[in-house]
Amino acid sequence: MQTFIGWFKTIIFYEILIGMKATMSHLLHYKPITVQYPHEKRVLPDNYRGMLALLRYDDGTEKCVGCDLCEAACPSRVIRVVSAEVPGEPTKRYAKEYYMDMTRCLFCGMCVDACPVDALGMTREFEWSVYDKRQLHLNKDQLLAIGDRSFPVREKRLELQHPNVAFFNVAFGHVPQKPN
Amino acid sequence: MTELSLRLAVSVAQIAVVMGIVMLTVMILTLAERKVLGWMQDRMGPMEVGPYGILQPIADGLKLFFKEDIVPAGANKFMFSLAPILAMVPALIGFAVVPFGPSHKFEIFGISVEPFVISDINIGILYILAFTSIGAYGIILGGWASNSKYSLLGGLRSAAQVISYELNVGLAIVGVLILAGSLSLVKITEAQSGGFWHWYVFALPAPQIFAFVVYVISAVAETNRVPFDLPEAESELVAGFFTEYSGMRFAFFFIAEYANMVLVSCVAASMFLGGWNAPYPGTILEHIGLAQFSWVENIAWFTVKAYVFLFLFFWLRATLPRLRYDQLMKFGWKVMLPIALGNIVVTSIAAYVFPKG
Repeated sequence: MQTFIGWFKTIIFYEILIGMKATMSHLLHYKPITVQYPHEKRVLPDNYRGMLALLRYDDGTEKCVGCDLCEAACPSRVIRVVSAEVPGEPTKRYAKEYYMDMTRCLFCGMCVDACPVDALGMTREFEWSVYDKRQLHLNKDQLLAIGDRSFPVREKRLELQHPNVAFFNVAFGHVPQKPN
Repeated sequence: MTELSLRLAVSVAQIAVVMGIVMLTVMILTLAERKVLGWMQDRMGPMEVGPYGILQPIADGLKLFFKEDIVPAGANKFMFSLAPILAMVPALIGFAVVPFGPSHKFEIFGISVEPFVISDINIGILYILAFTSIGAYGIILGGWASNSKYSLLGGLRSAAQVISYELNVGLAIVGVLILAGSLSLVKITEAQSGGFWHWYVFALPAPQIFAFVVYVISAVAETNRVPFDLPEAESELVAGFFTEYSGMRFAFFFIAEYANMVLVSCVAASMFLGGWNAPYPGTILEHIGLAQFSWVENIAWFTVKAYVFLFLFFWLRATLPRLRYDQLMKFGWKVMLPIALGNIVVTSIAAYVFPKG
């Protein structure tokens, strides 16, 4: 009897019919999962890691202190920082030049984690296809511009910190702490 | 105006109309395949060109027309150019004997014209089988002349496959030929009029249901469609025999494949499913007193049958994975061929025991 049923199933292509039923049910209950990308975009998650940007304080000064820690943290050597002293303030440094080669970036976010002054941020931009890949070699002004358009709300500069004490933005006990 | 030139003009007009319809069907099919396949896989298919992507075939055609026509180095240029034509012409030429509608005759300027079949020759089905065999030459020559190992492998696979399965196609329809007693598709179709129980799939004394299944499977294999698409297996052979083709020559192979699909669908509809006959006796338009317009209904039924077959092609493609080469040959020679032969024996006995009329 079992053999007979087996033979019968072979003759009527039972397995193939099961498969065809499955495809037909998908055709009848048509619910595409396609997102028509340029016309509709998916909602990005909160921790989305997009294009990198340099940030500013609310008074328009750059946050970056040129410490090179991002360059050290970067696994694919995207970042190149040329650090220099702020003229007239020997204890304070800044990034004189700051380059990112975004053709190599793998968007791991380790530079953002490494930054001691939160000068780097990851925006939610991802549409960065260009015709010339040299356009992905970004300098400091371009990175600041990305930060300006992606982070309109800027962090307040620590007012009570004397510029000479603000070495790497580490607050000392005798000066008031940064609120929150 | 002489009678000859008049006949020529009528024939050319008929050929132009049929070619136009076939080309239109091919265009619809390229879109329908992508759409149906997409829907079955929870995708949308082409959506960009025109509303819901309905203008996609035109965009594809324009793209192929303006693409560079590359002949690979070391290719046999004559054979390379000849192959696409040799593949496409037999696929289109078979439509000459397919009856699309009832065989009314009407007189025009003193000559009688059959509007729905280009030429009713008495060996119609043999003519179709002969020309589809020539189509295999196009594939083999295309594979060989490209001077590429993938093309050659695809061509050789195709040669073996097409020859094996054409045998099954030929044997599967022998049962129908025995019952109908004719090789003319017009006569075969007319013999199936008067309701779906007269169609040769179901008709007593010898229902050709097994022959029908063999025919459908062999037709899928003969047109190199999934799951028998070994000649153009994308994941194994790049694109098989037309790897090296581009531009309009590629388009010719593409049109040949789809025209072959349409042709085998039309032949299956004519041979097994009653062709242009409705599944009930007569036509509805005839019953309500519009007998002169009943050809509309008949053509609609023929179209429905052909398109159901074409949908089956897409459905199989969405469902089944590709067969292995030894499975393909084993299935063709050890399963399909004995069934087809057995069907001939049973049909012959039945036709002898219960002779017609």
